[in-house]
Amino acid sequence: MATPSYQSKTAKFTMIGIVFLYFTVFIILPIGGMFAGAFAKGLPAFWRELTRPEAVHAISLTFIITAIVTVLNAVFGTVLAILLVRHHFPGAALLKGIVDLPFAVSPVIAGFMLILLYGPKGLLGVFFDAWGIKIVYALPGMILATLFVTLPFVVKEVSLVLQEIGTEQEQAATILGAGPWRTFWRITLPGIRWGLLYGITLTVARSLGEFGAVLVVSGNIINRTQTATMDIYQAYSDYNELGSYAVAALLAIISFAILFSLELIKKKKEAASNGN
Amino acid sequence: MKLAKTSKKRVFTIAFLALFSMSILAGCGAKADNKSADTKAPAGKTRTIILGSYTVNKEPYEKELIPAFQKYWKQKSGEDVKFETSFVASGAQAKAIVGGFEADVAALSLEGDIDQIVKAGLITNNWKSKQADGFVTNSIAVIAVRPGNPKNIKDWEDLAKPGIGVLYPNPKTSGGAMWDVNAIYGAGLKISEQKNGKQDPAFAKELLKGIQKNVKVMDKSGRESFTTFEKGTGDAVVTYENEVLRAIAGGAKYDLIYPKSTILIQNPIAIVDKNVEKHGNKEVVEAFVNFLYTKDAQRILGKNGFRPVDQEVAKEFSANFPIPAQLFSIDYLGGWSKVVKEIYGADGVWTKIVVELGQG
Amino acid sequence: MGHLKIAHLSWRLLATIVVSYIFVLVLLPMGALLSNSMAGGWGGFLEDLSQPVARKALQLTFEVALIGALVNGVFGLLTAYVLVRFEFPGKGLLNALVDLPFAIPTNVSGLMLLAVYGGGSPLGKVLEGLGLPLAYSIPGVVVAVILVTFPFTIRALQPLLEELDPDIEAAAYILGASRWKTFWKVTFPSLLPGVLSGVTLAFSRGLAEFGAVVVVAGNIPMKTQLAAVYIYGEMESYNARGATSISIVLVAAAIVLLVLLNLVSSKQRLTIPRFGLLRKIFVKGEVKEHGNPVIPVQDR
Repeated sequence: MATPSYQSKTAKFTMIGIVFLYFTVFIILPIGGMFAGAFAKGLPAFWRELTRPEAVHAISLTFIITAIVTVLNAVFGTVLAILLVRHHFPGAALLKGIVDLPFAVSPVIAGFMLILLYGPKGLLGVFFDAWGIKIVYALPGMILATLFVTLPFVVKEVSLVLQEIGTEQEQAATILGAGPWRTFWRITLPGIRWGLLYGITLTVARSLGEFGAVLVVSGNIINRTQTATMDIYQAYSDYNELGSYAVAALLAIISFAILFSLELIKKKKEAASNGN
Repeated sequence: MKLAKTSKKRVFTIAFLALFSMSILAGCGAKADNKSADTKAPAGKTRTIILGSYTVNKEPYEKELIPAFQKYWKQKSGEDVKFETSFVASGAQAKAIVGGFEADVAALSLEGDIDQIVKAGLITNNWKSKQADGFVTNSIAVIAVRPGNPKNIKDWEDLAKPGIGVLYPNPKTSGGAMWDVNAIYGAGLKISEQKNGKQDPAFAKELLKGIQKNVKVMDKSGRESFTTFEKGTGDAVVTYENEVLRAIAGGAKYDLIYPKSTILIQNPIAIVDKNVEKHGNKEVVEAFVNFLYTKDAQRILGKNGFRPVDQEVAKEFSANFPIPAQLFSIDYLGGWSKVVKEIYGADGVWTKIVVELGQG
Repeated sequence: MGHLKIAHLSWRLLATIVVSYIFVLVLLPMGALLSNSMAGGWGGFLEDLSQPVARKALQLTFEVALIGALVNGVFGLLTAYVLVRFEFPGKGLLNALVDLPFAIPTNVSGLMLLAVYGGGSPLGKVLEGLGLPLAYSIPGVVVAVILVTFPFTIRALQPLLEELDPDIEAAAYILGASRWKTFWKVTFPSLLPGVLSGVTLAFSRGLAEFGAVVVVAGNIPMKTQLAAVYIYGEMESYNARGATSISIVLVAAAIVLLVLLNLVSSKQRLTIPRFGLLRKIFVKGEVKEHGNPVIPVQDR
């Protein structure tokens, strides 16, 4: 994009300067500081902190929760998006609003709602308690909390793409006799692929970083229900700043890596289809 | 081209389903882990004790007491006992146990929090009839200041001086904070009693208000509060004596200020019967709690800055633990139920202070 | 056609399962929240709302979220404009950095702000000397909220700015309009939906923030304690009803904002800001993927 000729040079430099300052204050210093802190004592120390037993457990737990949540969201989110965009039924607007709800709810509130509902005295909790199934202060509750806060991402992104690509090909397939599943696998899924992947990326980033809701719902049991974000907090409270920053840096690196590899794949595909 | 795309979809689908199943299995694995920890195990296998504790206990328990007990139990019964531990603010921990966290042992900051668990029907034994009235450690509320005491803080009143930054946690979540605030308020009553012959609640309130005005940060727990102090905030932190001693033992050069008048902190421990019945580990849990009262365990606690409840061991450590001139206990304030209502309740003294300071 | 019928039925079944899933995941917990706050009837609810500490917490939360959202709007607009209209070294890096706050857990953001601007650091000491301490103060919480909502306005505006033809702006200027007038009369009106979108999203996110806030704020009731932290405290001290009442106020406010957001963004079909690097895929990539020029790509 060429510089519009009507902006003066001083205006341009001032604006760019202000933006750089904005970034420095809010992004570069704090986040750079985290990476600096994580690697302050070198790579061996960084690795040592990551391999603390409670950290290993916490990170694995975070991965497990993220994997389960991502898969569930990918499947259910896609179905929901198709329902909301391609089908008309009474209550569709209401359903759409409900899907949006987790954006409006603070993570602590999300956690507390789950405790109200599934705690031993809760409406559903009394049943689970009677059968000996633990929801809160255990893995299932943590998964529910993370599912709640990540609900909108895949739905929204896939909905957007579904709206954009239109129904022509799907309609053609139906006319030619394909059932809903065949149409989905052959036509729809390829079409929404990038929206779905993007929604998945957002889900993963959010799951890795979830703190408030899982803190409330998990009981913070070291080596049992502590996630990576809670280990970060625990390490910090135990005067282990390096450990805290190391795990934080790991989570950040993973989220970036997913984003960038997605970008790389996209670039390769574009190059390939350009080559053809 | 179309065929290639189809097989790509197949691969994608299969990979997807594989990942799905793997994560479900992993999740089940983690869940199974959860469950196996709770079931009764035949002799020679491993049983687990789940400990729900307040925050400042972490070091003595994890580093010394639990390993010592594991060694002792292995020798005695040949069994390896595993521990699962949670260290959060006392109030939050009590809430968690009431809410379904299956701790076998509750080691909390104050009796009032144990009472909550009793009220919920989870503790049915008469825990107060056990050794030392159910208390496993003692401590007192003290003030820690920067090395050399640059702001010259000698007692509670100095904390209310203008320009002093004070730290203590939030009484809503932290048992330690309640001890701290009780100490200040009670000290106010004691001082006025000394001066005028009878307690003056107004004086005590003014003292507490003056200090609360200077509070800079109210963390969720005692440990977090002390961490904030360690990171450079504030001139003084009101906290457990054992927490300051731990930091000094670790190399920090804080000055420990003993107020003339302060509260005796008594930390209870109780077996959570309902969970123990569920887990079937009563024998080993009782052994653990009893172990904490042995001379060896009490010495470990004494070394870690906690005042032993065992009289003999306490005598051994008496040089380390001075007794303030006007030491009082929670009974001086009327007991926990009264305190919770009259100091922290909706019309409580502390609540009113906070509102007044906010509106001023 | 038998297998087709089975296909349709199985699709219906899946759809039903998914809708029930939403019911259980979202509606039931919210129902528990509502019923808990109504435990004392309307009287109890209003009593919880009239607690001075609660009201102050709500007030502070709204103020902090509002200021954060406005800063987000103004500087986000500036940033988007600079990133789209200008070329300069480091532009690609800045564009990539915009998304960073999405990748960082919120409590980590809080810890980092304390580390860089808190009392223990050189910058922090300077700030304290200037009478502007960021640690454990309301300004610090505002900074935290700006950090976690950083990408919203920027990402909402970038696509809009890219579609706007810079020649139109240039034409207006050539025809005699001043630079400011050009911006306000020609550029800004098209950007307004994006600005509103970003600000509303930042505001509702700011209302809900816990992780960064609980770390950075002093959490002193009536002074630096925000709503989410107040709620946490009340829940932990057995005042579940008070906690849920305030939760409902907070959620209701955010729902109102979400409704507004949907109204605004339905005009331009932008509801979530996207990672800038991927944005281009949606606008142009899809047509190429299918290789079929017949598929319409709807105009934004």
